[in-house]
Amino acid sequence: MTDTWIVIVGLAVGTFAARLGGIVLGQRLPTSGGWARTLNALPGTLIVALVAGQLMQGSWNEWIAGALAAATAFITRSLVLTMAVGIGAVYLLRLNI
Amino acid sequence: MTPTVEFRSGLREILPLAAGVVVYGLAFGVLAAQAMMGGLQTGAMGTFVFAGAAQIIAVERLVAGAGAFAALVAGIALNLRLILVTASIRDFFVGRPWWQLALGAHFSTDENWAMTVAARKAGRDVGYWHLIGGGAGLFAAWLLSTITGVLFAATIPDPRALGIDFAFTAAFILIARTLWQGQRDLAPWSVSVGMVALALWSGLLDPSWALILGGIMGAAVAGITGND
Repeated sequence: MTDTWIVIVGLAVGTFAARLGGIVLGQRLPTSGGWARTLNALPGTLIVALVAGQLMQGSWNEWIAGALAAATAFITRSLVLTMAVGIGAVYLLRLNI
Repeated sequence: MTPTVEFRSGLREILPLAAGVVVYGLAFGVLAAQAMMGGLQTGAMGTFVFAGAAQIIAVERLVAGAGAFAALVAGIALNLRLILVTASIRDFFVGRPWWQLALGAHFSTDENWAMTVAARKAGRDVGYWHLIGGGAGLFAAWLLSTITGVLFAATIPDPRALGIDFAFTAAFILIARTLWQGQRDLAPWSVSVGMVALALWSGLLDPSWALILGGIMGAAVAGITGND
């Protein structure tokens, strides 16, 4: 089996287990306290870690485009606009004109 | 409200969000092509995983050459939050047959969950079938756009030259904006970014493990130092 199929099957099983787990465990999951805060914070900390890693592996072009995308996200909260500004900015910056 | 009416209203109300998913899905297809995935693998992943951000993070790691294990850990870590998503709506599932449990679990995503929960907070009598209607719209949008993206990507010689590789950095910046819950996220997010910077600049970890370490350390800070 290739790496890609391993990831597809593994992620499918893990994701369904998480979704079903919430329904089955339901009442027994902590809604407050340290573990609840950790689980609750995890998506945000992973996303900013990913963005930070991607920018650090890029050049000034990516940092500038990232800043423009962040400003767009902050003002508009629109996925489509943020993606458009980010892609457009990085495209123009890489033209080096 | 009958199930049919509820389903239809869920489907109708998700359409604006599904439009955003289409853009995201097309870009995912281009990324999947870089991972040498075809229409079959992209379709299988969309059908059986059906979790956009986790699919992107996992495939992005594969493209970066991180290997299956690191890609899988990153994707699953991001999806652990779904436990909280379905736990928060567990009353939708009480007394339902197993196939409705499985369908509802699989169709629970951030977008339709937020839509149905918001509708209930506004005092509307909606629940399970509203969620399923929204989920069905997102599922169709996700499959069509990702498969279109991966097939179309073959005609794009160099996605990097068009800036398409930056699509997800931009998308994740927007997701970070929507996940920001205020002051209490400052310390966890700073620790997360700081760990990644340290790991990458020191060269001790490759980017995949730096990301996982940063995410977990940041979340641990939220657990240890925060208060409810």
